[in-house]
Amino acid sequence: MDATPQRDKGATADWKIGVDIGGTFMDFCALETTSGRVASLKVLTTPDDPGAELLTGLQLLAEREGLDPTTVSRFVHGTTVGINTIIQRKGADLALITNAGFEDVIELARLRMPDMYSLFCHRPDPLIPRDRIFGIPARLRADGTETTAPDLTTLAEAVARIRAQGLQGVIVSFLHSWRDGAQEAAVKAEIERLAPDLFVFTSAEVWPVIREYERTSTAILNGYVHPRVSGYLEALEARLAGQGVPARAMLTKSNGGLMNAAEGRRDCVSMLLSGTASGVIGAAWLARQAGETKILTLDIGGTSADFALIVDGQAQYGTGELIGEFPLYIPSVSVSSIGIGGGSIASVDAQGVLRVGPESAGSNPGPACYGRGGTRATVTDAMAVCGWLGHTAMAYGQLSMDVDLARQAVGVLAEQLGRGLEETAQAILDIAVSEMFVEVEKLASRAGVDLREFTLMPFGGGGPMLGAFLARELGLAKVMAPRRPGVVSALGGLVADLRGDFIRTIYADLDDAALSSLRQGFEALAEEGAAWLRVQGHAGAAELKLSADMRYAGQSFEIEVELQPDWLSDRAEIERAFHETHRRIYDFDDPAGRIEVVNLRLSAIGAGPALDMPEAEETGGRAQALRQVPIYLGSPQEIALYDRTSLTSGARFEGPAVVVQEDTTFAIPAGTEAQIDRHLNIHLSFAE
Amino acid sequence: MFDKMTLQVLANHARAAAENMAHTLHRTAHSAFVKETQDFTVMLMDRAGDTFAVPMDLGATWYPGLTYGRAIDMIGDYRPGDVAFTNDPYSGHVATHAPDTHLWKPVFVGDDIVAWTGGHIHNTDMGGAVPASLSRSLTEIHQEGIRFPPMKLVNEGVFDEQILRIMTTNVRKPELNIGDIKALVGALNTGERKVLAMVDRFGKQGFVSGVAALLDQAEAQARDILRAIPDGEWVFADYADEDSDNANPCRLKLTLRISGDEAILDFTGSDPQLASSLNVPSGGDPRHTILLVGIYYVLYTLNPKILLNTGLTRPFTCIAPEGTVLNPVAPAAVGMRSLTCARLRSVIFGAFSQAVPDRMPAAPAGNNCIVNVMTRNERTQKTVIAAVNPVVGGGGGMPHRDGTNGSGADAAYLKNTPIEITETEVPVEFVKYGLAQDSGGPGRWRGGLATQMAFRVFAPDSRITARNRDRSFFRPWGTLGGKAAGLSDMVVNPGTAEERRLGNIDTAVLQPGDVLDIRSAGGGGRGNPMEREPWRVAQDVARGHVSLASAERDYGVVIRDGLVDEAATHALRAKAAHPEGHFHYGPERDGYEAQWTAAAYDRLTDILTALPIHWRFFTKTEIFRRIGDRTGAAGVEAAFAETCARFPELPRPAPVAEAAE
Repeated sequence: MDATPQRDKGATADWKIGVDIGGTFMDFCALETTSGRVASLKVLTTPDDPGAELLTGLQLLAEREGLDPTTVSRFVHGTTVGINTIIQRKGADLALITNAGFEDVIELARLRMPDMYSLFCHRPDPLIPRDRIFGIPARLRADGTETTAPDLTTLAEAVARIRAQGLQGVIVSFLHSWRDGAQEAAVKAEIERLAPDLFVFTSAEVWPVIREYERTSTAILNGYVHPRVSGYLEALEARLAGQGVPARAMLTKSNGGLMNAAEGRRDCVSMLLSGTASGVIGAAWLARQAGETKILTLDIGGTSADFALIVDGQAQYGTGELIGEFPLYIPSVSVSSIGIGGGSIASVDAQGVLRVGPESAGSNPGPACYGRGGTRATVTDAMAVCGWLGHTAMAYGQLSMDVDLARQAVGVLAEQLGRGLEETAQAILDIAVSEMFVEVEKLASRAGVDLREFTLMPFGGGGPMLGAFLARELGLAKVMAPRRPGVVSALGGLVADLRGDFIRTIYADLDDAALSSLRQGFEALAEEGAAWLRVQGHAGAAELKLSADMRYAGQSFEIEVELQPDWLSDRAEIERAFHETHRRIYDFDDPAGRIEVVNLRLSAIGAGPALDMPEAEETGGRAQALRQVPIYLGSPQEIALYDRTSLTSGARFEGPAVVVQEDTTFAIPAGTEAQIDRHLNIHLSFAE
Repeated sequence: MFDKMTLQVLANHARAAAENMAHTLHRTAHSAFVKETQDFTVMLMDRAGDTFAVPMDLGATWYPGLTYGRAIDMIGDYRPGDVAFTNDPYSGHVATHAPDTHLWKPVFVGDDIVAWTGGHIHNTDMGGAVPASLSRSLTEIHQEGIRFPPMKLVNEGVFDEQILRIMTTNVRKPELNIGDIKALVGALNTGERKVLAMVDRFGKQGFVSGVAALLDQAEAQARDILRAIPDGEWVFADYADEDSDNANPCRLKLTLRISGDEAILDFTGSDPQLASSLNVPSGGDPRHTILLVGIYYVLYTLNPKILLNTGLTRPFTCIAPEGTVLNPVAPAAVGMRSLTCARLRSVIFGAFSQAVPDRMPAAPAGNNCIVNVMTRNERTQKTVIAAVNPVVGGGGGMPHRDGTNGSGADAAYLKNTPIEITETEVPVEFVKYGLAQDSGGPGRWRGGLATQMAFRVFAPDSRITARNRDRSFFRPWGTLGGKAAGLSDMVVNPGTAEERRLGNIDTAVLQPGDVLDIRSAGGGGRGNPMEREPWRVAQDVARGHVSLASAERDYGVVIRDGLVDEAATHALRAKAAHPEGHFHYGPERDGYEAQWTAAAYDRLTDILTALPIHWRFFTKTEIFRRIGDRTGAAGVEAAFAETCARFPELPRPAPVAEAAE
């Protein structure tokens, strides 16, 4: 109860709350804007009653911080309900209506599959099995002319079978609907007439991009999660209203922006990467605040580690992000993932080589040291054996740690290897870090960036444990550990803008004739964007970001080039921008080459309220260690243990050290200097 | 000696370096071959030129066991910044057809070379008789484009402009070649930088001994796999439909001998080298990577944690006699060796299927057909040349899963092009792109279905090539009671009065309105189809993968109104004969082998081996022409006698004396 007593809370209070729900915890980041006070907390999730943890969290905020729900002016929510529906394959029973002759579009996908050296390699089973896919005579040509109108008799037969099978919804996807969605719309209208109880999504209304597999797959993901996401959001809004929260709930999107919850009930596909994307947005915001421009984020959970690049303070975007086993083709914040986390299991192979992962103890039973029945050594157990963990309770006191259990688990491997216990634990950590090293190196080479210019920002419960070691392996000079690493995603929601993405496929040579279709396209997209912002309830200024996917004729994939609307009358400007972008990404350009414009894209952005986080007064001086603790760092040593709450602005200390706080432990290797900034971030720099 | 406990750390750094090289090349390359088809490789090599790390995400799957040593040694005096290259299949046996251009670069620490970075790109065209430099009909290497024996392309960081000018003069798309080559040089530079970072991280001695440990680790893993397989000898043969245009089958034979932790792959008995471009230039290297691609798949399937590097080739010894299709002598053409390589993989899969029956799948479709279209855009009046989708077939039935539909197994690296993109760029209209009913071999686990693709053209004299088509006669085989799969086919205007069946022909000329229907083979079935759960068969029928008729005939499952008729199914299955034999080949091969028995082939091999190399293919063809209805070794002997009578110039060997030795 450290609420600021001089204020009459309730009367002038104005709370903004960001909430992010993950596998184990629901994270809250709450800001009271009149006092500038920030509160964060974690509540265990209640899988049996999703949404109940929200009430628990609001209650705790009321008790601890004096929050009055009627003073919440902004409520932003990120949720994994959509992605979990896909991973657990618990989504809607859907049918797909497509062109006759092309019913296998989602099974064939793009043919190529992962694990290509295995004779057992296979693609994931499609979300719609083939017996629920109905081809009907209908054909549009690439230029938009209709050669065969949709056959409504066949359609009626298909609808009858769909109803007989008891399916919930229908996806309609026809070839070339990127050019003209009218065929799909007509079929949708007919299905709704024949079977008003079925929900219907067309591929063009979900995301009208050229490439039939990608467009169809995106529309299916939308329909697949629709009933669950819709039900979840409805319940969420009801619960908030029940608490007297006046703000309409907003949702974080895969594109790092926001939309209102009502929109999310139809545009489900936009929120599939809700939490991971807002983590990057939160990290970017923290980085800008601390004056850092190039960041590699690292978020380690129980079963995986996520990485993203932030360049010039901005998250990077891509398409084709994997949702479980399926690629998603709407613009999303780029996040790479690898199946190595705190719960990854270490083992010794037949040749006596130590391995880590891909098997994971997950959160249940979890690492041996959690005392929940896990017996196999995990990365977290290795951290505990080396002495980094076990000094305080973890996760706001909700997890306790039994180091002896970790020693037993790692001991089994040490015996197999004939090596010392700590030595084995250190090797597990080195291997886990090297697995992440591979993934980050791939990310950097795909993006064509020099990692040495980047600062690593670890967050999540596990990021700060291994972050500094990974940074050293990658040759990064700096690490920045935010004050509240557990709620970066929740914070990301708080600081995000409304953002709607719109696309129009042009697919034409960039010549003077194309300019007029570009201008028309831009006008239509701008109108759509403005209308979207209005529906979100946005009254302020709108920013319209225009870009085009372009390529040299003959290339098989496009690059996104940022454009200014006034360039749409000036071909030379567009060409210049394309050549420049091409050179930046691919190291060469071809000024004489013919250019094609494939898509025109527009992002409509409605800026959220500016947030000022409080800055601490600089006090400086050497940080005071709480005590010395024994750590294994190649050899046993005594190193300083710091309490994060006692690290004030300007304080300094040297590694090796360990910093404990209620939601994570920051492990700091030797040869480093740490300094605390005015936002209480720890900045670590490696000597040399 | 590198600490084995933490070898995985070095393995990960090496893999990261290789992935870095692959992404750099993929990102900066110019041609669709590299960017889309991903027909490229990159690798890190030890001081001797043996590959110790390859990427797992990008590129082709053929070269993790490639050694550059022979080519490296053909040049002396390497300096920092040098890059050497070759595309000559007959110099050093690194390149295996002329479009594949291999580059390598030394990594110096002080005065010592500690490693090499290398890789290859498939150039769109290297000149020669036909565009793209590849045609089955070509008969000697000189028709297949310009060849560069190993030489320096970059001297201390500076490109040799003379070489680039010679290439520019001789090839059809020089800007693509040179763009891709420069991108590959960039990737080699990236690899060099990453190797130097590893030397910093692990120390020079640590790095060198660690690389040796990585090769030893892969070798130990491979030996563990072999040791777990009982000792024994397994023989398997398979056929490519034709050994040249409209001609006779091409047979590959393998005798696999496993003893302890070593294996011998004896290809003796395979056909003589061909007067077409289907030859596989291995140079007789007992561990040439191109002979061992099937082995990589087998080892990786048996242990997915295996390190892919040259170490895993060490327990294997290949015997490929000189002058045969797997070890041709110059100037035999080699451009279309991919087709033969697919069959080479099937004989390896077939031999291992007998050695480890519990853990191997049935035959994959094995015809990685690449379709190209040359037609005219009536609107722009321009000629368009474009690759359309690959038409590949399914994987074989697995021990616990149906074969993957549409592609899979050893064709998993291929990618398709969206119909919408192709139709926008090429004036063709697709009629179908999907899976073909009843094309998967029936089995307890069904073989993966074939792909079927049909499209219409609008301009006169539109030319189609469908490279690597095969399996239109010899089916992908089933195992352990599973049946062989459906055949590949190519038909013009199917179901009309003007239907033309093209069989194994790999080119077609189409007129306005013509529809070309291309179908791959399927994957073989595994296990007795009568033991497949009736519900799965019913599901296959509901999904259109299996017809009602096939459900009854092949699976003994009777389905009425979508439901399994248990009683009728039981009755039908009770009558079914139990399948015999490890393999099921289908009637075509059974019929063929009734005449061309194993003994007939042994005799043929003896006859041909005794002849000078340039007489062998000719004599084989003449024997086939003359054998008529005669069968077995006696039939071959009689046909040979007639051949000798007709061609007195034929140098008569002394077969009896030969045999007596």
